[in-house]
Amino acid sequence: MKIKRVKITPILFMLPTVLFLGLFIYIPLIQNFYNSFFEFSVFSQTKEFVGLSKFKQLFADGVALTALNNNVKYAIISVILQVFFALVLAAILEDKFFRRFAQVFRVIYFMPVMISISVIALLFGFVYNPQIGLLNSFLELIGLEQFAKPWLGNSTTAIYSVIAMSQWQSIGLITMLFIVSIQKIPKDLYEAAEIDGAGKIRRFFSVTVPQVKEATFVNLLVTVTGSILVFNEPYILTNGGPGNSSMTLAIHMYQTGFVKDDMGYASTLASLIFLLSAVFALIQIKVSKTGKEE
Amino acid sequence: MKKYLCFLVVILASSMFLAACSSSNESNGESSDGDTVVIDFFHRWPNEPRKSFYDEKIAEFEKQHPNVKINVDSVLNDSYKEKIKVLVSNDDLPDVFTSWSDTFAANLVSSGRIMELNDVMAEDTEWSGNIIESQYAGFTFDDVTYGIPFTVDGKAFFYNKQIFEENNIEVPGSYDELIDALDQLKKAGYETPLVEGLTNGWAISHYMGTIFDRVIANDILLKDYNTETGEYTDPGYIRGLEIFKELTTYMGEVSTAIDHEAARNMFAAGEVPVLYMQFAEVGYVQDAGDVEFGFFNFPEVEDGDGRPKSLTGAPEGWMLSKNAPPEAVEFLKFLTSEETAKEFTKADGQLNAIKGGVTEETSNPTSLEAYQIILDASDATPWFDNAVDISIADVFMRGGQELATDQTTPEEIMAKVQEAAAKLRNQ
Repeated sequence: MKIKRVKITPILFMLPTVLFLGLFIYIPLIQNFYNSFFEFSVFSQTKEFVGLSKFKQLFADGVALTALNNNVKYAIISVILQVFFALVLAAILEDKFFRRFAQVFRVIYFMPVMISISVIALLFGFVYNPQIGLLNSFLELIGLEQFAKPWLGNSTTAIYSVIAMSQWQSIGLITMLFIVSIQKIPKDLYEAAEIDGAGKIRRFFSVTVPQVKEATFVNLLVTVTGSILVFNEPYILTNGGPGNSSMTLAIHMYQTGFVKDDMGYASTLASLIFLLSAVFALIQIKVSKTGKEE
Repeated sequence: MKKYLCFLVVILASSMFLAACSSSNESNGESSDGDTVVIDFFHRWPNEPRKSFYDEKIAEFEKQHPNVKINVDSVLNDSYKEKIKVLVSNDDLPDVFTSWSDTFAANLVSSGRIMELNDVMAEDTEWSGNIIESQYAGFTFDDVTYGIPFTVDGKAFFYNKQIFEENNIEVPGSYDELIDALDQLKKAGYETPLVEGLTNGWAISHYMGTIFDRVIANDILLKDYNTETGEYTDPGYIRGLEIFKELTTYMGEVSTAIDHEAARNMFAAGEVPVLYMQFAEVGYVQDAGDVEFGFFNFPEVEDGDGRPKSLTGAPEGWMLSKNAPPEAVEFLKFLTSEETAKEFTKADGQLNAIKGGVTEETSNPTSLEAYQIILDASDATPWFDNAVDISIADVFMRGGQELATDQTTPEEIMAKVQEAAAKLRNQ
């Protein structure tokens, strides 16, 4: 009798979470996979089974390829700037010499994180404005007017302009997470390294980097999956244009579904996005062997 | 035993919560407290002066009908198109809402969730007969009318009279003369004599629709715009895209990075002498600057097979959800009454489809001139993004941006269009 009681309490505690996770995450996920085998529109109430033809369409879809390409660019730049550069930034801010100003800098770097992305996108719309924008005005001011261009209206610069804005916003958060992690490193490790004659750079690579492995993993996961899911920034700034030059998978999915009214194919794209993020997460979990702190 | 009871309570509580979730959106026209009727009203003018106009009208209607409470919601243009689709797919349509005519209306109607208005119109001919007959067409499918037209509109080149006079430029009567005029303006120092906010896909589609109507025979267009027969193989499309490309060369690099509103402000500030705009924008231009402007229709293309004098433009109007309460019909009549129409044109400057709604009292000479152009137009060409399936329009709109940035050729765009059309035919 006693054993039974012990078994039911944890179930009761977990039930609400399991129920809601199932209802709002897993059931829609399965439903989405199921939908990608059908041809249907938002206006119609009937669905037509089309088998794997939506997946065939995916492989012949040039726009999806452009979008995937842009997502990969997003991921690579984000990893370099947000994860690597943020770690360096965090290490500098936690350095003995910088401690005095650290508070001020932390606030400066963290400020953009607290502003809503829509506001930031509108703000950067002004920054990038070809006629009255800050960026072009600044370039003219320092005598580099030959580099001034319509940043968001040029198909080669549009996606990079969007990515740049993203970095500006997110780097503060990642830096913060690293700072917390660096503060947990025992001081004697640094002292021992110093006694052994290690310089600042050596201490960074030999002590800080290995000690923040867990945080690095989390940050990598956040930035890479974030790059695959990215929607707001390019949607508000460029709507994927000019042409399809700054299209991302999420915008393509959204437009296929709600603008072009092909819900089946939109579901297929959603499945692709899910698979990509799941695969990346699994690889990262595997490679970093996280959860087993040494 | 106590534990089992606990378990049961949790199950019950969560299922009740879920039930509450699922039934929350069935509020259409239901009484909320006793005998108050709630009407959901959704329009696409969160900007002034129209927002205030509708807010005032709502207050007036509520005063006349103390038992009615109107919930209003509004979002702009592109967001509106998307939001209404989400609402219709969830069977969550507002009781009264804005709709464009032609394919936009047809799509909504295909959901089977829009109220048929034939009976309502037949019952009150005094009201329904006071609306310009021809404007019903875009809302009527298989002899059933699903929408009441309210605003009428047309698209023309607005030009800065002063700049044209200063440089001795005549109003162009043909496409070649238009190019001539633009060249002259360029020589006179206007780096971008023509401008457009090409980040807005619809602005590109308006150009395309008009140009195609000039260069391609109407029967071919009608065949192609129909999703079941569209092939888009006529060489006129290539010619049309070339014309569009030529025009973008006068817009400069800026055009792909700005929106239509920015372009309009440039025109109103006198920086740009020519802009392709809707008559609905007359008020905005007058408010934003003090340039003296006139308009001319997109000129005839000499070697074109299309209609040289047709006017691009279509009415917008109101639709009702199938489940809307009778009070919503009252509200619809109120919104499209002659009195409202008069006040509307006076307050907003926009032209409307109600007889007696546009007079010398309610609008200025510029608007009256525009109204006359609409009434006199030989034929009306619907907005291109409403005339064709959105997957076709999307290829043209994104292709237009790529043309302007030298990323593609007319032939490449047409290949994609033909592919999209083939897919639609096989559906």
